[in-house]
Amino acid sequence: MADKTERFTLWYEETDGKDFPLVGKKNANLGEMIKAGIRTSPGFSVTIAANEKFIIDTGIKEKLGKYLEGLGEATYETTKKASAYAISLIESAALPAEIEDDILANYRKLCEFSRTNNVPVAVRSSGAISMPGQMETYLNIRGDKDLIEYVKKCWASAYNVEAIMYRANKGVGFLFNIGVGIPKMVNSRVSGIIFTLNTLNGDPSKISLDVSYGLGEAVVSGLVTPDSFLVDKVTLDTVKTTIGSKETQCVYREGGSDIVQADVPKEQREKLCVSLDEVKELCRLGKVIEDYYGKHYDIEFGIDADLVFPESVIILQVRPESIWNKKEVTARTEKKKDPMERILSQLLTGVKLK
Amino acid sequence: MAGKTFMDPHDVPTIPGTEGWEKLYPYQYQFSKDDPERAAFESSQIWYYDGLHYPEPHFPFDLIWDEAWSLALSQYNTRHFIIPPAMGIDHRIVNGYVYITPVGIADPEVIGKRIPLFMERAGYYYQNWDRLYENWKKKVTALIAELEAVNFTDLPEIEDISVITEGKGVGSGYTLLKKYDDVINMGLLNWQYHFEFLNLGYAAYVTFINTCNQIFPGVPISTLTKMVAGIDVVMYRPDAELIRLAKLALDTGLDELVLKPLKSGDLMNELARVPAGKEWLAELEKSRYPWFHISTGTGWYHHHISWNDNLDIPFDAIRMRINSIKEGKEVERPTEKIIKERDRIVDEYRKLIKTDDDREAFDQVLGVARTVFPYVEDHLFYIEHWFHSIFWGKIRQVGQMLQNAGFIENANEDIWFLKRDEIKQALWDYTTAWATGVKPRGPSYWPKEIAKRKGIYEKFKEWTPPPALGVPPDVVTEPFTIVLWGVTTDVLSEWLKGEGAEGDQNILKGSPGSSGKVEGRARVLKNVEELADLLEGEILVATTTSPSWAPAFVKIAGAITDVGGPMCHAAIVCREYGLPTVVGTGKGTRLIKTGDLIRIDGDSGIVEILERVNK
Repeated sequence: MADKTERFTLWYEETDGKDFPLVGKKNANLGEMIKAGIRTSPGFSVTIAANEKFIIDTGIKEKLGKYLEGLGEATYETTKKASAYAISLIESAALPAEIEDDILANYRKLCEFSRTNNVPVAVRSSGAISMPGQMETYLNIRGDKDLIEYVKKCWASAYNVEAIMYRANKGVGFLFNIGVGIPKMVNSRVSGIIFTLNTLNGDPSKISLDVSYGLGEAVVSGLVTPDSFLVDKVTLDTVKTTIGSKETQCVYREGGSDIVQADVPKEQREKLCVSLDEVKELCRLGKVIEDYYGKHYDIEFGIDADLVFPESVIILQVRPESIWNKKEVTARTEKKKDPMERILSQLLTGVKLK
Repeated sequence: MAGKTFMDPHDVPTIPGTEGWEKLYPYQYQFSKDDPERAAFESSQIWYYDGLHYPEPHFPFDLIWDEAWSLALSQYNTRHFIIPPAMGIDHRIVNGYVYITPVGIADPEVIGKRIPLFMERAGYYYQNWDRLYENWKKKVTALIAELEAVNFTDLPEIEDISVITEGKGVGSGYTLLKKYDDVINMGLLNWQYHFEFLNLGYAAYVTFINTCNQIFPGVPISTLTKMVAGIDVVMYRPDAELIRLAKLALDTGLDELVLKPLKSGDLMNELARVPAGKEWLAELEKSRYPWFHISTGTGWYHHHISWNDNLDIPFDAIRMRINSIKEGKEVERPTEKIIKERDRIVDEYRKLIKTDDDREAFDQVLGVARTVFPYVEDHLFYIEHWFHSIFWGKIRQVGQMLQNAGFIENANEDIWFLKRDEIKQALWDYTTAWATGVKPRGPSYWPKEIAKRKGIYEKFKEWTPPPALGVPPDVVTEPFTIVLWGVTTDVLSEWLKGEGAEGDQNILKGSPGSSGKVEGRARVLKNVEELADLLEGEILVATTTSPSWAPAFVKIAGAITDVGGPMCHAAIVCREYGLPTVVGTGKGTRLIKTGDLIRIDGDSGIVEILERVNK
């Protein structure tokens, strides 16, 4: 296999945070999360090198270079013209066969892995420098033809007027290659939230877990009473389980990226929506995230219907827990001179039977 | 449990046909209204059925251990270590079943005065634990050797000439009476030793559990017990010896011979014919003393015979082990794994503690729990298995003598229907008649009396003892009540619920014994002899288990017991093997039938019957 720096595609797990010059920051961060043991949606990056080869082989680089030479002073008007020219060149060019073959071979692997033909993916721009919101991300892309089309659109989005202006302000040149990320769209059978502590009393030895059917929206926005679990963080044994009513669920609209609500059938409502193995795996990932970031975390996840356990358990978003992390912690036990004093005090208290 | 009470102990009706049953037991064991003060005390207490030790009605002789622990436990609480708020545990018998109650101290002034005494006395034991425990082992093994040396034989027609020539001046009749007293006293002494450390051990354990609960609210007991697991204790040794012998048979090519379905005597004869077999038998003898002095039950009943009493039992277990090894299964206790897991759990919990004060508290209570753990485990082997196995054998010798003299009809069955003082009386009858040269009264008196008692005993068996009598308390301070019997709010309210019709119950609640969840077919076993029926992957349902059940734990998917708390045998072993377990369900063996599909949850303590087997 070719040297990593010369490849046209790299799977997320083949990269880490240091690889941002190869695949862009967003992609590199996903690789880093995987390296930390945090499972995200499976997918791959189209490298910056692929973008470079594309614009050289198709003659776009040369054409753009000549065009810019003849353009004169950079104004909003000229930039707008240059942007339209660049975008039309990119979108109308054909990909070099080796790049296209490489992308499509990976896509087929992703379809196989997801047990789905034409699996929907996201096509996300990923630059080697931070340019928040300047370039495009496309959701719910299916099939070879659309995929290649949208990879080009993504590359082209680096030549949006806003992106070009942003770069100009930062002293970065007009010509700019970016990485593209292609993760599988998460098709959540169930989804929910993990807190890496007992949210009721701040006990750090527990993990609180809320899960309900469908996409995360229903749980996050409080549309349903989810199943809830309290899990021992160290042994991953479930300490307490409550079955929620789970009347409704959010699902993708057929053929679009919109979401719609649907009723949950009665028999589905009355049972737990996740298996104990899934609960364990979610908590294990919760622990990994807490250890990695060094504080209690609030985590959104989905369990993908197209993937096989444990690969199906996917982390969607993580952020620090906002209440208990900030509270001052006081001792829960009384200070005692020695174990003897502790035993005495225990015997005097006894065990209350209410 | 506001307001809810159990039946008043004085109101329990006598089972028809058992009138006069009180004669089988000491008078102080009866609930009685003849002293109003004592009657009021009896009505105000919670009396719970000690099914942990007595899943069957009581034999008059076997009550010796109940009397022994009633004395020993209570005296250590009350008179030795002066547990500030807890006196002893009082005992009664109703329709053949033992009920017990913890006696507390309510007066804060009295409690206050006991505190400095407790600190000095208990403190001394905790601080010198290892040295005192080493000394304890010496005392107990010396006592066992002394017991082993006593033998009961028929009185001689005439005394040996040496009595004359050496001027002994003592007769066999006197010696017999004295020997009997000696054996009884050794039994009682054995139980004095039993409680020398146990109350303190349990107090430390309760403190550990509750301190951890303050730091980590709701931490499962099954997690806490993992923190002290894996320390090498002698209770695992008998099982380890079986594995050693199984491996030796395989290594020396004797496995095919040992696997032959022969009775132990025949098999040993065959083994003795080949050189390798002789060597194997020599190794077997090394294992037998003391490690096969393991009772097939808890050791509390005379019919809990030991492996040494019936070598077929360990031979069957060795065969199971050989087969398991041949199938490539892991037969040894995964000690290393358990220790690694224990250290990981402790380490991770410790890291989760956020203040230095809590960390110090955790370290203190974990340290002391680990100090006491080996004793809490090991005393069972020394006292209830090793000593008891030999003790029952000696009393069987007395039974044989009395059968030979015509006092009883069946040495193995009848003697247990006499109270220990009545045996002494019968021996007096026997020896004085022997001395005088007349016919004793016993042969015309005891067989009739025993027949009547057997009838009563059979009726006892048909009765289901209610789990508790009297009034539940607000606070329990007696360490045993909490740890060993697992009496908690939940357990008591579950018992109260069970007071009605229970035939259709499909959910049982007990204590979490070992974490995890599993579904499977139930196998209800009444005693260890039925172990051969057990199939791979079944869930064992038993009243209680003991080390004799060891072969079961490599086959089963989980276990349920009627009686026991987090420190009972089944819970400990299942934790070691990583099997889900619910203990102390109160009625598992009654409600569950072999073949029922059941689900057990060793984290919440819930057992569900999912599907009843077709009857």
